[in-house]
Amino acid sequence: MKFLGWLGIVICLQGVAVAAAGQRGWTVPTVMKKLQNGLLVVVSEDHSAPTFGLCISYGIGFRLEPEGRSGFAHLFEHMMFEGTPVAPKGTFDRVVEGGGGWINGDTRWDFTEYIDTAPVAALDPALWLEADRLKTLDFVTENLENQRKVVEEEVRLNMLNQPYGLFFAIDLPGKAFNRFPNAHNFYGDFRDLDAANIQDVKTFFEHYYAPNNAVLCVAGDVKPDEVFEKVEKYFGGIPRRQVPPKPDVSEAPQTAERRATQPDKFAQVPALAIGYRMPPRTSHDAVVGAVVGELLHNGQASLLYQALVKEKQVALSVDGGANWPLGNPFEYDGPTLLTSFLVYPPNNKENDVVSAYDVVIAGLGTKGPSSAEMDRIRTKMRSDWYGQLEIPVERASVLAHATLFDGNPQRVNEIPDELAKVTAEEVRAFARKYLVNANRTIIDRVPASAPGGKSEGSEKGAQ
Amino acid sequence: MIIRHAFLVCLIILPALLTASAAEKSKPLPKDLPPYGPLEPFKAPQVAARTLSNGLTLWLVPRPGFPKASFAVAVRGGLASDPMDRPGLSQLITDALDQGTKTRTAKQIAEELQAAGGDLSGAAGSDSIVVSTSVLSGNADAGLTVLADVLQNATFPDSEVELAKRNAVESLRSQEADPSFLARRALAKAVFADHPYSVISGTQASIQGATAEDLRHEYAKRFRPDQAVLVAVGDFQPDKLMATIESLFGKWSVPKDPPLAAVQKPSRPAPREVFYVERPGSVQTNILVGALGPTRDDPDYASTQVANAIYGGMFGSRLTLNIREDKGYTYSPWSALAPRHQAAILQTSAAVRNEVTGASLNEINYELNRMATTAAEPEEVSQAQRYLTGTRALELQSQGTVASELARLWVFGLPPEELGTESARIQKVTAKDVAQVGAKYFPASRQTIVTVGEKKVIEEQLAPFGLKVEQAPKME
Repeated sequence: MKFLGWLGIVICLQGVAVAAAGQRGWTVPTVMKKLQNGLLVVVSEDHSAPTFGLCISYGIGFRLEPEGRSGFAHLFEHMMFEGTPVAPKGTFDRVVEGGGGWINGDTRWDFTEYIDTAPVAALDPALWLEADRLKTLDFVTENLENQRKVVEEEVRLNMLNQPYGLFFAIDLPGKAFNRFPNAHNFYGDFRDLDAANIQDVKTFFEHYYAPNNAVLCVAGDVKPDEVFEKVEKYFGGIPRRQVPPKPDVSEAPQTAERRATQPDKFAQVPALAIGYRMPPRTSHDAVVGAVVGELLHNGQASLLYQALVKEKQVALSVDGGANWPLGNPFEYDGPTLLTSFLVYPPNNKENDVVSAYDVVIAGLGTKGPSSAEMDRIRTKMRSDWYGQLEIPVERASVLAHATLFDGNPQRVNEIPDELAKVTAEEVRAFARKYLVNANRTIIDRVPASAPGGKSEGSEKGAQ
Repeated sequence: MIIRHAFLVCLIILPALLTASAAEKSKPLPKDLPPYGPLEPFKAPQVAARTLSNGLTLWLVPRPGFPKASFAVAVRGGLASDPMDRPGLSQLITDALDQGTKTRTAKQIAEELQAAGGDLSGAAGSDSIVVSTSVLSGNADAGLTVLADVLQNATFPDSEVELAKRNAVESLRSQEADPSFLARRALAKAVFADHPYSVISGTQASIQGATAEDLRHEYAKRFRPDQAVLVAVGDFQPDKLMATIESLFGKWSVPKDPPLAAVQKPSRPAPREVFYVERPGSVQTNILVGALGPTRDDPDYASTQVANAIYGGMFGSRLTLNIREDKGYTYSPWSALAPRHQAAILQTSAAVRNEVTGASLNEINYELNRMATTAAEPEEVSQAQRYLTGTRALELQSQGTVASELARLWVFGLPPEELGTESARIQKVTAKDVAQVGAKYFPASRQTIVTVGEKKVIEEQLAPFGLKVEQAPKME
């Protein structure tokens, strides 16, 4: 088993293009049906291999986990693998791996997804098992104790024992936003993880794990009618549940730049994370923001790589984008950031890096991107977008989230064209409106061994 | 967060009919669970092999439909072929390869590829350097043009090499903060000792000492058509692509010098040793345990793959069920058979909280010795066979994976048909074969142990084992 590296899970950006006439019209087929109990079912038929990918995604993520229970949505995700009264712990793995496949789950800001992929011979048992764990779970304290330990090791592995400790994904929104839903440590404070009890697990399950709060997508070597029939058979009898209404998670506008410096116990090389608050997800500006994120960060041709790594040589690496690194720019439902993560050489000063960064941002707001730059990024985004639709298990996930957040799986075929329509002028206007200091947060992460790195961290210019 | 677990393990196809009742040991499955459907045999990708007159091997896999094309080029000679005084030079070659050619600047290379919908990625392994890209299929010619240029005409400009070196120095410092890197580096050194497979990375001194001239010299030696394979997978017409390849690569000339000498097999197994790498402040100990295993062309390879899946190669493996799902010592235990061309390491990894370092090693030893001393259940064997075969089929859905896997087969001197035949061998493995390789490769007493973390924690936690725990050799 292999943990997928943090940066590795970043599903890239999406794209559009004007180039390459042959590909412009490539689309993935989708058929959608809603069960009586509210479960949305999407099928994407693709017979290129005798396999399937299945994603069932629930409309609950870190954002809505209760205060005092940071990290709970993810801990709960682990409990979904701990068995049910009829299919005890270990059954799911055994059946799907024995069918030649694998299973996984992951939690993001606004969804928790469960994925299964295997040769098609295993589709029936996989669907049955997914339905089974939506009916009820084995609410056993012993399993919770076990998974609490496992999750705490996961947090140590990926955060507490790692250089940078995911500060660009956890501390940055923590500083950029004011309210618990958007700002808390979603991996979980150990105090909160330790406090979670089996009643919390039950309550969370009853609130959010409902057919009417989920999308099920199957892609691969299947026929839509057959899948609908099977899903009806296994999921049709699961009753709707009353899902708590979505609370208002909006943030008051940011009015001043926020900065912090953090010492890093392990890093030998300093790094910066810069986050601009994004416009609302459903606005056209958010689509423009997705393009801006790619212009700035996508590969060696990107504006930041060329300026900071190559020309001024003040940074070692550049990464980032809209809603980065926890999904593509359309897979969320609340405040998010356009983030840059820059590792820089120890002989440079934070301010030199930020100054060079600001020149790029200013250029985007004044001169704007050239038409060649726009053409290239459109092609690259289209290529990247297609890339995440290639294999069934990834396609199922992207389709499930288009459906979860926009009610329409065909959105995955529309997004490339929407992105393609974004103009250089819109990019310039976006930069002027959103890529401004008053709308951003910067965290400088400094090796604790470096001079000045020993302090407990300092806060500058807090709002 | 996020990704709970995911496996990258290997291997292919599938036979007959799976029935749920075959699944595993004693515990019955839920009575209403529907059985598996009939299994369609997985079809290995059909590879058309050609050779250009200059000796360049071409493996083409046309796959109409998905509108992209992936290309991978492997050249023989990687980290194990670097000059003795320049360990890790292959990584610098890889870093700087696309930073200028006779007719293109680094920026032009990046921009042309982006305009085709791709990026160039390079990987320096023990036996090869692999350069790859994936572009929109309508832009396949444009992507291939840039690829052909960097493979034949890279110039390694002085200023770009200087920048690449500076960045590599910092990148190494960054890696040295990562406990898993420290563990992998120490284990390779411990298992391979003076053999060139002991090197997985440069050192500060070797990076700083490298010159642009060194890079040009090694590039000229290795990047030659008779020592390279070009794999193309995706939505293209083979004849048309062949014409493009002929025009772009046909004039690539073969140097007069003989190719690089082959890497020798390690002459002796490493002794059992226990090392620590000190990493102050660590809240976990990274345990990495390993010993030589069979190479990909070894008759034991398929059986060892099956044994590894049973032991620690899948989520339902003994190791995961024990130290994660039963004891909660770790999030991410895994084991893998990692083959190089002339040697392989069978390794086990777990990052565990400090206070269960000793307990975790005890369980790892137990599971290793259980493989070595007792027979696997027939159900475990069939489960592992199906897992290996099915997940291989899943991996090969991605054209980029097909390209990189084929390139790897070529580096190992294996034919493209191996993608299909390896699964047939997996299917023939018996419980007896698993027991045999278990006894041969898995005994805990064969394994070298590397631990990374707090020195005091490691010393205290390993004390009950009565082993001599030494500091891993410094890498400077």
